[in-house]
Amino acid sequence: MASRSDQAARDHLQRCFVLHRRNFSNTSLILDIFSAIHGRQAVLAKGARQHRRGRPAGGEILQPFRPLWLSWSGRGEVKTLIRYEAAGPAAELPGKLLYCGFYLNELLVRLLRRGDAHENLFAFYAAALTALAAGEDVETVLRHFELRLLREIGYAVELDREAGSGRPVAPGRYYVYEQESGLRAAGTGDGRYALAGELLLGLAAGEPLSGPAAKTAKLLTRRLLAPYLGTRPLQSRELFRQHRNLSL
Amino acid sequence: MPEPSLLNQLVDALRCLPGVGPKSAQRMAFHLLEQDREGGRHLASVLEAAMERIRRCKRCRTLSEQELCGLCAKPNRDDSLLCVIEHPSEIVAIEQATDFRGRYFVLGGRLSPLDGIGPEALGLDLLETQLQERKIEELILAISPTVEGSATSHFIAAMAARYQVRTTRIAHGVPLGGELEYVDGGTLAHAFAGRQGVEQS
Ligand SMILES: [Zn+2]
Repeated sequence: MASRSDQAARDHLQRCFVLHRRNFSNTSLILDIFSAIHGRQAVLAKGARQHRRGRPAGGEILQPFRPLWLSWSGRGEVKTLIRYEAAGPAAELPGKLLYCGFYLNELLVRLLRRGDAHENLFAFYAAALTALAAGEDVETVLRHFELRLLREIGYAVELDREAGSGRPVAPGRYYVYEQESGLRAAGTGDGRYALAGELLLGLAAGEPLSGPAAKTAKLLTRRLLAPYLGTRPLQSRELFRQHRNLSL
Repeated sequence: MPEPSLLNQLVDALRCLPGVGPKSAQRMAFHLLEQDREGGRHLASVLEAAMERIRRCKRCRTLSEQELCGLCAKPNRDDSLLCVIEHPSEIVAIEQATDFRGRYFVLGGRLSPLDGIGPEALGLDLLETQLQERKIEELILAISPTVEGSATSHFIAAMAARYQVRTTRIAHGVPLGGELEYVDGGTLAHAFAGRQGVEQS
């Protein structure tokens, strides 16, 4: 017997994004989707690459960065898509913003386990795409998304108080982030690795980043993510780097 | 485990063809074995030779038995136009459907970080060398308008800008003979943005 959630999935269209798609056989697609309620799922879209006369078969709509309504069935590893509708226009991510979109998707594919629900993160992801498309500061959007993602998958990073003592982080002071234990007050000799209290408080509060602070924040979140990403490099990060080399 | 029978191995091997599932693979295997051994032997030898001898053209990366493919070897093409496409089959389509007489460059796919497909996999280093060394006046991007295709176009356009090569892309829009009511909103938006004057005389 189908479980209740299976039944619900079959009957109701779910808010989703496609994180990644790949061709399957001649005419179909396998989608890696992110659903508000059901988290990451693998879904087979049968015939989505077929062209019926004048009528799109799904492939055009089942694209990354486009809010979708989807319903699917099945209990195996790969579900079968039943219905799809666009839930709005695709986030317009021209040029390098597209690489940012790939980066968000790659993080989700690498860090979310299939089937784990992350409703808050879904809303945050949708908001990040909208913010990128609206031309908001890229570094700010990416850093806050990374911190939010870490928190949602259970690796919350406390950036507004010292580990151990629990003393609040104060502006004008400097801190060091230790991978195992967390924040501690910087001592002499920590110079190069020290993080300003203002930056940490700004990150904790979701405030905009600017100038050199953005650079420091990037190095910090990179360190925070590293243990969960493993040794395989992020390909979208690589693409950024290669593009930068072109425009030097 | 014992080795699968030769018949099963053949059926399995045939399944590497696109669109061939277990049923049709079995049908093909029985057809060749029961009704067309000669055809089967011929297929095997041509397949073997093709896999051995067909490689990528060193200039445009299309499939070719020679170092330089037929098109690249032709002297009477316009060297100042370079059209970037995804797959070799599109050369045939463009040659038949348009009056384009420039040169081609075949990517063999699109940038897709989540599939691990980066610039090298598409031969973009070779394209860069050509942008640098050949007198190209217009680089035409004929790449699918998917997100991966757009990222690819953006990357190549940035590369061309570095060598001051003008870049254009083919228009995306409503398919000829298509009905507007079935056209997806994104396509419609593209088509709208790329609207053209109508002959009024
Ligand atoms: Zn060639």
